[in-house]
Amino acid sequence: MAFLSVRNLTKRFSGLTANNDISLDVPEGSLFAVIGPNGAGKTTFFNMVSGFLAPTAGTIEFAGTDVTRMRQDKIAAMGLIRTFQLVQMFQGMSVAENVEVGCHLRTRGGVGSALVRPPWLRRQEAELRAKAHELLGFVGLGAQAKMSAELLPYGQQRLLEVARAMAAEPRLLLLDEPAAGLNAHETDALAAVIQQINARGVTVLLIEHDVGLVTRIAHRIAVLDFGCKIAEGTPDEIKRHPDVIAAYLGTETTDA
Amino acid sequence: MTSRDTIFTRLGRYGYFAVGGAIFFALLFAFVFVRGGYLLTVMQLAMIYGVFCIGLNFFMGYTGQASFGQNAFAALGGYGTAVLCVQFGWEPVFALIASMAIAGIASVIVGYPTLRLRGHYLAMATFALGLITYDISVQWTSVTQGYMGYSGIPPLGIGPFTIEDERMKLVCLMVILLFGLWVSGRLRNSRFGRALRAISTSELGAAALGINVARYKLAAFVIAALYASASGSLFAHVVGFISPEVFGLQMVVVTFTMLYVGGVGTVLGPAVGAIIASLLPEIVRSTGRFQDIAYALALIVMLIYVPKGLSALGGLGRSRVAEPGAGS
Amino acid sequence: MPSAIELIQSLVNGVGIGLVYGLIAIGFCVIYNASGIVNFAQGVFVMLGGMFAYSFLVGMKLPLALAAAISIALVAVVGVLVQIAVIRPMWKRKAPMFAIILATLAVQLLIEQIVILTLGDQPRTYPEFTSGGPLKIGQVAIGYQLFWVLGCGALMVGLLTLFFNKTRVGRALRACSQNREAAALLGIPVGSMLVLSFALSAALGAAAGILITPMQYTSYSIDGPFGVSGFIAAIIGGFGSAPAALAGGILLGVVQSAAIVVFGAGYKNVIALTVLLIVLLFFPKGLFGGLAKRA
Repeated sequence: MAFLSVRNLTKRFSGLTANNDISLDVPEGSLFAVIGPNGAGKTTFFNMVSGFLAPTAGTIEFAGTDVTRMRQDKIAAMGLIRTFQLVQMFQGMSVAENVEVGCHLRTRGGVGSALVRPPWLRRQEAELRAKAHELLGFVGLGAQAKMSAELLPYGQQRLLEVARAMAAEPRLLLLDEPAAGLNAHETDALAAVIQQINARGVTVLLIEHDVGLVTRIAHRIAVLDFGCKIAEGTPDEIKRHPDVIAAYLGTETTDA
Repeated sequence: MTSRDTIFTRLGRYGYFAVGGAIFFALLFAFVFVRGGYLLTVMQLAMIYGVFCIGLNFFMGYTGQASFGQNAFAALGGYGTAVLCVQFGWEPVFALIASMAIAGIASVIVGYPTLRLRGHYLAMATFALGLITYDISVQWTSVTQGYMGYSGIPPLGIGPFTIEDERMKLVCLMVILLFGLWVSGRLRNSRFGRALRAISTSELGAAALGINVARYKLAAFVIAALYASASGSLFAHVVGFISPEVFGLQMVVVTFTMLYVGGVGTVLGPAVGAIIASLLPEIVRSTGRFQDIAYALALIVMLIYVPKGLSALGGLGRSRVAEPGAGS
Repeated sequence: MPSAIELIQSLVNGVGIGLVYGLIAIGFCVIYNASGIVNFAQGVFVMLGGMFAYSFLVGMKLPLALAAAISIALVAVVGVLVQIAVIRPMWKRKAPMFAIILATLAVQLLIEQIVILTLGDQPRTYPEFTSGGPLKIGQVAIGYQLFWVLGCGALMVGLLTLFFNKTRVGRALRACSQNREAAALLGIPVGSMLVLSFALSAALGAAAGILITPMQYTSYSIDGPFGVSGFIAAIIGGFGSAPAALAGGILLGVVQSAAIVVFGAGYKNVIALTVLLIVLLFFPKGLFGGLAKRA
């Protein structure tokens, strides 16, 4: 039984088939990547897995529970946390506060306790800050903790989003094109962070456009093209796979 | 002890500005208190509108949602308290609390389906709520006495203790306003408030972190309705008279003007805005219709030229939490 | 239980008021399609149309056609002023939708208060355009004004359709509604088109107000309910074509007047607004298409 098990996932938008019959198994503890050229249906796939889009057909099972068509926040509560290709910063909040929002699932308290502030809540708030501090240090944003999140440069916003997702203590972390728009230096820093996250025991599912990054860090790779899964295997297998070279690397070289 | 612990320590970062502001408002309050007369009434109304604005700020400032119909809940509070006190002889305090409960329940019933709407639809649906309430308060004469309005509403008090002195009313209202601000400040910097503020700029991001967006929006809507209802009831008890006009469109425009003057999304903004926006027309001695025109014009000018509210000019805008040594 | 005659009568009345809602709805659509803005102050144009026409007709004793023409022109000028003074600066600064709505609400309050100060706060009305009537078919009475509403409504929709399809300016306006960036690239002065859309929309609203006043009344406070009713009609019609908006208006008018028979006239706005909430909740995309996806 795989940790994340996707069966025959299909999504059609009025005539256009964005995902066609995709099946995938992500083993627990792995660093799994889904790659494909632009428009291959990677983000559609991701949105369905994380509950932001209802599939036309197929099922998604996470840690033994059917999560198909489950509401996003419930999926998140199960430990499946995602980031976005277009960074979803909480503007008007500080960098540290952004991470504290990430702790939402791992903390408790509502209106009543916020007014009374019982001892347990004070303890929790202190732990929260310590955790935010630790995670910001982990991604290298410790010095920017008090800055307004929207003032961060783009590359750091991506790192902040990763730290925020980690605050939710995910069992499976979904990263949607985390290297998009980053320069080579920033991409390296990000790759290191992702590998450390995986080393902490968090399963990572990564969608990426940057093949170099993926083949360097992923344990296993699935390739999408025109909404279909055309290959799956280790980075070495994928690099040699004729269909992949034709469909993906081929277009990539002509593009670039 | 980080700077986020209380609104006071946070303001401490702006040392002189905060102390100056506090002294200014204390002096202003003392002046009005000693001087008495018409200014007392103006300040009383400012406090009442302030309570309304704190609620509006919850839904609009913290949560980033648009409601143009919060006056509906103020009307519910005003008429609720009037009917309970005058028709049924209730104690004003209990009438006020009961009206808040009614408004809270009504806001859940109305908000649950309405808040699923977005954009223009949500805006128009909330606007319609205010219009519906206005029309009902005009037409349902057996309960609301129609255009005539309700008079003879008793002042606040419990049992034999009633607050009839205008100065005592002001003190009482100020205490209520400060309590409202305290609640707002505590909630803003809590798990609950952080969830609301996360929703205000990215519902997707909030949902992905496990925040039940619909539930938190509804909670903010209900809190806003509770504040609105309280302010409606307070108006009824302090002024002693309500009519449909009190809770009409001008209430929407006036309260938004106040919120923009004070600063959208800040803790103190609603109260500061309510006081400043109430006193300014007195300085130029404009009254009645001209005052409404002045509010409307001021709001339009602010929406165009200082969309973040006047407080943004003084560096006290909503991003102040975040300003490091960088920025300004 | 209302009798059959009463129900038929209310249907007839509903068609009349519904057509007026339809005209207001078209006004909403013209602005929305050109700019993506929903002008919450749309009802102001209806109110001003009626109030101006009253002043010219009853106050200055001008002939009807002249009074109507001047009123419509004046309201169109008001529409242009609102666009230039309020909407355009916000538009240029990319103000959020919410702020623009709030500004249009402030405009509504502003104009209401000015009207009270200058023209008074009393309800006004003037006689129907043609004296005599009503026309009796069996026991159902049809006021002559209904025919004026029908005729003028049809005429205006016809002219609008011609304008949008046959004239250069109309086609340019339609191009704006489809893609503003592309229209700008083609050399269409998008800014002027937005001004034009406000003028057109205001004129439509004014005409609606002039037509409806003899059947009801006008006063400074009718703008809110009429504006919202027009918006409801536009939603039912899906914010698309003029005929769909008209159909939406008639549907709303008929439902409303049938409900008046049951609940009484005092609650007609409450009923219309309740219809709005129901339509929004159950048909969030309208009956004939959505706000976002225009056909």
